[in-house]
Amino acid sequence: MDTEVGTRPDGQEARPTRAGRLRALLSAENVIAVVLFVALFYVPYFLVGFPVYVLPQYMLFGVLALTLCLLWGFGGMVSFGQAAFFAIGAYALGVTLRDVGGPTAPWLGLLLALGLGVVLAAVIGWFLFSADVRDSYFVLVTLALSTITQVLANSESQLTGGFNGMFVERVTLPFGVVDVSLAGDLAAYYVIFAFTLLCYLLFRYIQWSAFGRVLVSIRENEDRSRALGYNTALYKTVAFAVSGGVAAVAGALYATDAGFVSPTLGGVLFSTSVVVWVAIGGRHYFIGALIGGIGISILSQTLNARIPEYWQLLLGLLFVVAVGFFRRGIVGTILELPGRMRSRRG
Amino acid sequence: MDRVLSVLLDVVTSTLVLALVSLGLAVVFGLVRVINMGHGAMLALGAYVAWTCVNRGIPFPVAVLVATVAVGIVGLVFEVLVIRHFYEQPFETLLISWGFYLVVTELIKLVWGTDLRSLPNPLPGTLSVGGAGIGNYVAVISLISAALLTATALVLYRTDLGVKVRAMIQNRDMALMLGVNAPRMYRSVFAVGAALAGLAGALIAPMFSIEPDMGTLWLVRSFFAVIVGGLGAIVGGTLVGSGLIGGATVVFALFSKQVFAQTVVFALAVIALRFRPVGILGRR
Amino acid sequence: MPRPLGGFDRRAFLTASLLGGGAVLAPSLLSGCAPQSADNGGGGGGGQDGPIRVGVISPLSGAWTVYGKAHSAGFQMAVDELNAAGGTLGRQWEVVIADSRTEPQVVTEQANRLIREEQVDFLAGTFSSAERNAAAPVVTQADKLLLYPTFYEGQSQEFYPGVCNPNVFMFGPEPSEQVWPHLEYMIREHGGRFFMVGSDYVWPRETNRLTKQRLEELGGSVVGEVYIPFNTPQYGSLLGDIGRSGADVVFLSLTGSDTVNFRRQFAAAGMKQDFTVWTVDDEEAATSGVGPEATEGDYVSFDYFWSIDTPNNQKFREKVRSAYPDVIMNTVGVAMYNAAHMAARAIEEAGEVSTDGIRSALAGMTFDQAPQGTLTMRAEDHQATLPSYLVRARPGWTSPDDMFEVVNQVESVEPETAQCDDLPLSGA
Repeated sequence: MDTEVGTRPDGQEARPTRAGRLRALLSAENVIAVVLFVALFYVPYFLVGFPVYVLPQYMLFGVLALTLCLLWGFGGMVSFGQAAFFAIGAYALGVTLRDVGGPTAPWLGLLLALGLGVVLAAVIGWFLFSADVRDSYFVLVTLALSTITQVLANSESQLTGGFNGMFVERVTLPFGVVDVSLAGDLAAYYVIFAFTLLCYLLFRYIQWSAFGRVLVSIRENEDRSRALGYNTALYKTVAFAVSGGVAAVAGALYATDAGFVSPTLGGVLFSTSVVVWVAIGGRHYFIGALIGGIGISILSQTLNARIPEYWQLLLGLLFVVAVGFFRRGIVGTILELPGRMRSRRG
Repeated sequence: MDRVLSVLLDVVTSTLVLALVSLGLAVVFGLVRVINMGHGAMLALGAYVAWTCVNRGIPFPVAVLVATVAVGIVGLVFEVLVIRHFYEQPFETLLISWGFYLVVTELIKLVWGTDLRSLPNPLPGTLSVGGAGIGNYVAVISLISAALLTATALVLYRTDLGVKVRAMIQNRDMALMLGVNAPRMYRSVFAVGAALAGLAGALIAPMFSIEPDMGTLWLVRSFFAVIVGGLGAIVGGTLVGSGLIGGATVVFALFSKQVFAQTVVFALAVIALRFRPVGILGRR
Repeated sequence: MPRPLGGFDRRAFLTASLLGGGAVLAPSLLSGCAPQSADNGGGGGGGQDGPIRVGVISPLSGAWTVYGKAHSAGFQMAVDELNAAGGTLGRQWEVVIADSRTEPQVVTEQANRLIREEQVDFLAGTFSSAERNAAAPVVTQADKLLLYPTFYEGQSQEFYPGVCNPNVFMFGPEPSEQVWPHLEYMIREHGGRFFMVGSDYVWPRETNRLTKQRLEELGGSVVGEVYIPFNTPQYGSLLGDIGRSGADVVFLSLTGSDTVNFRRQFAAAGMKQDFTVWTVDDEEAATSGVGPEATEGDYVSFDYFWSIDTPNNQKFREKVRSAYPDVIMNTVGVAMYNAAHMAARAIEEAGEVSTDGIRSALAGMTFDQAPQGTLTMRAEDHQATLPSYLVRARPGWTSPDDMFEVVNQVESVEPETAQCDDLPLSGA
């Protein structure tokens, strides 16, 4: 395989030369990312109304997919509980706006979401990883996490509004000199666009950093990494905490954008959808997960209206194929085509 | 005293019904290390096949057999087409079987529709156990569950086949050398697990709402029952795990709100997993 | 609480776009190619010519699919009748059906799509209270109406904008209509000690609170009150508690698959002979799911049943049989049917298709062609005055045709006044 391209997830590349660095910048993955973000940036120039309203929510689903991609594609841990963090963040903002109020409440709410997401994930992560709970067992625990989240959100109606849900207004975020109100769809669009871009860059930075490489080496062989002296439980816990924190902030933004939160947002059904997005999009590349999250949401929205039965069936089949036989997912396959063709020629 | 007895009966029947539902899962997980997330869809399929049979005038016991065989065949086909390629990757099989769940659930909707279905109770009436009442059918299901657990234990520990199967778990290469046809063994185990799911689905159908998503009801509970019970301890593990998940919920619900009982039991299961990853009765 | 729209000045936008697109893309903005203004208020509907467009949100997949068919079919049937009669104001009707997938977040999304993209004139549907609450902020912001068909928990200001909302009309019954008229009958026939079992959310809790209040006034008492989390498979311990409680009546507000599972296990445990069951959830579709042997002799109360013998319902049943032979019609389907016809009359009366016009004409309107009898939409709080029926499941019933016999009925019940801050609910 092509070792010069500096964006391979397995972090196996040699120290890049200058030409290598340039090529790395122009890798297919980066090109697709730039195209995606430019396209998203210009959507409101060409479309009005519903697409501008709904795309930010799908971008946040895309961010949720990114958080799972970090865990699964890079850390080798599949979480069936990402929706739980998303919902916890959403409720954190909603409760802060309702019970605290004031101009700084939105920031407080976002901070609380981040804090809760990070701390909860860190506690659960450390509790499990320090005892070497992994793979299927980890899946089951995260499955229980989303089940419990949904059950509690339903029954603790004093706090969450229960099954009937909680209303969350569109917030105004004070940015020092300017206040950005998310009340307008266009403002909400660009604030969430910026957040999505930042998250993408953050995850790419993690991938590129020493931390990311250790994470990948743990995925490849946890015992070897431990033998090399890495505290693998700590690395996995940090990855889980980052993922939980980002998912919670995305959830908080979702809450204010959609205006309404209810317990199903934290449930098993939504959690498993995230797994499906990432599998089909491609779990070895963040851009695959992001496109999976946004793309499948768009398709679900359009196709569910037309062919509801067959769309769900198709999604299930695609998932089986992606997990079993087509592990790179759709985007991953496209990205690896040039390299494969080259190596076949060579 | 009456109350103690009736709570005890609740604990026993809850445990045995959950064990019945989880046994197929336990067999597949214990012997071929596949966590079959498609188990819930197999339960639903068993219930629907039984429903169709009964509606065609076939007696319920026969319908249960038909459901067992039909779901066993579906499991066999799934094994041959997909699962057999992934035994070396337990984690992929978990995800693929989740895909199986999604696909089969949608197929059930296409074939049978989404209306709620019900089967008449084959054994109406109650019997009294030392003053505490219990439904006839619940009693029979509990007995069948106990019988199935016993039969599984006998097969595994008292027959030649059981020796081979267990040898295969212990050391696959060794078993191969000793002439065990491993692929065929794996296939049979998976199909038996599916058949047990079909059997359980058909048997519980008269007590539950028959609907495409009925498996989700059991998803988390039966997984925890199997895994908390213990890896490799198929029969005892399932029983202990079901007792912890099913029975403990009954006991906790005596003192607290239902929602609290369920949450605490899940939390306890997670803690048990943390401190004994191989399960309560499990061995490495 | 709806904030003023917009809230978006050029400076804020620049900040946002700088944050978002980076400096490279900013010049294109400054050169005047700014994004098209996204309209927050939604489309203006179909205008005053062309078809009248209605968005219907129904649970066509997911946990509550079983109610979805009657739900959308009820509305579609009324619209077909309206169109066959030449439409309204000379305009034909068009229905755009959206699937809620039984997930409130999908409702938010679909309500937006229907209003902005499909340019519907108003919305009808949503099934659960959660779904209604998910749609409510959207209709409030766009100033469209939502016609809500399901039996519900009553209105209280703390749940605004889901309720107490001038843009929402309730066509189904609330507990004071569904339960109160039959309490005396049940106490007289079966006794006043109630054991209440409900799903763990707002509608069962409110229903039980109001029932308990009235029950105690009538000299009855509550001997047990248990709330069950969704998706609970086994009820062993609860059945034991009920068995020891000495209750006369088991009062059920369980929903979804839980009600079916509970009632089947209740029957299998042989408890039907010792207790009388009264459910306020299990209309024809759910009762079908529970099956004849487990429901025999149990009571259900609603504003409508398929088997009630009013002249209106006889006509209605025939229409349903010919148009939707596979659909099990029920209270929500009928409420959707009434909502469409009453909206049509409101449009006739207003002479135009507008939110204000329909709202003021609907308020106070009486509709005597409702399958259950006569329905009046109360002006002050948008709650419907409805008939109320208590029925008992016949032994060995085979289909909704012979499922229930009416044992107690009240021709018209005024609902309790909504607990809203600003009554009457009006657009101003």
